[in-house]
Amino acid sequence: MGLPGLIRKNKREILVAIILLILGFFLLIVFNSVPEQRVVLDSTAGQIIDSGVEKTGSPNLVTAILYDYRAFDSLGESTVIYAAVSSIALILSFKTLPISSQGLSFISKRTFSLVTPFVFIFGFYIITHGHLSPGGGFQGGVILAAISIIFCIIYGSAYDYENVSPGSKTLLETGGALLFVFLGILGIIVGGNFFSNFGISPAQSGTLFSSGNILLINLGIGVKVGAGLAIIFYTMIQKTYLEE
Amino acid sequence: MIYNIVFILLFLLGLYAILTNRNLVKIIIGVNIMESAVFFWVIAVNSREGVLPILEKGSEIIQVANPLPQALILTGVVIGASTTAFLLTLLIEIDKFANNINLDFLKGLRD
Repeated sequence: MGLPGLIRKNKREILVAIILLILGFFLLIVFNSVPEQRVVLDSTAGQIIDSGVEKTGSPNLVTAILYDYRAFDSLGESTVIYAAVSSIALILSFKTLPISSQGLSFISKRTFSLVTPFVFIFGFYIITHGHLSPGGGFQGGVILAAISIIFCIIYGSAYDYENVSPGSKTLLETGGALLFVFLGILGIIVGGNFFSNFGISPAQSGTLFSSGNILLINLGIGVKVGAGLAIIFYTMIQKTYLEE
Repeated sequence: MIYNIVFILLFLLGLYAILTNRNLVKIIIGVNIMESAVFFWVIAVNSREGVLPILEKGSEIIQVANPLPQALILTGVVIGASTTAFLLTLLIEIDKFANNINLDFLKGLRD
């Protein structure tokens, strides 16, 4: 059919591509005029870099912002996850029991049972060392959720349903969220402000227990995010299995 | 700047996927590509070569990367994951309702 036929057939795609190329040209001009970003000492970021470790005891400044300076924002963030989990569970009803596969082969099951403890330790390490190295509650929680999802794929969701009840995941999620809020209220009692950090020891900066309740907040968020993402996965998988 | 070019390519790729595909799963993937492009750009424009905002004990306060945009982007990533999960949930319901996720089929469908 040749080139004219091709053009006639993909008229929409070609039109969209031309418009997007023009848009890209203008975007390139605009974005190239953005000046290079420098951290000034007087700005908020400059202050955090300058005195963040003394004030929070956390060498990882991103964690210091997330769980100390702006811990209230992290509370809102975990509320977003909570709302997503709740609405997904509301739309795809929770009650239906899955009729699922029997899982993968014997070799996969044995291999996974050997690997799981190490992956679990890795996820827990990411959560608890959030104030020392890259990581934190959200990132480690996703690793814990991945364990749960792979468990469901390899062993089959029927086996999983017998051994890990959905109620325990709900308990973990609400427990993590409640621990988070409880630490905030404890901050009012001890330090005078919502989420004020207490028990920090900047002299020991770099050790596990140097940054007060950032460690505990990380634990709460990690458990909450892991359980929340696992609940999302299970709710979706149950409904799709039921359709077959 | 190279990251501007990469950002615009990724962003337009996602926009192209949204505008030309009629499959709802591919549209959600396109939205996610655009989202990742924005996250990438904000991190890239505020970072310095090889310097993380993690201070080591005893080291001088050097000019580390700005930690504020990274914390903001972490919030954005979490919210993006939540909205994607919610979109996919709605997609499951649409598929259950109409047995089809193609926009050409769904257009003008009532009751």
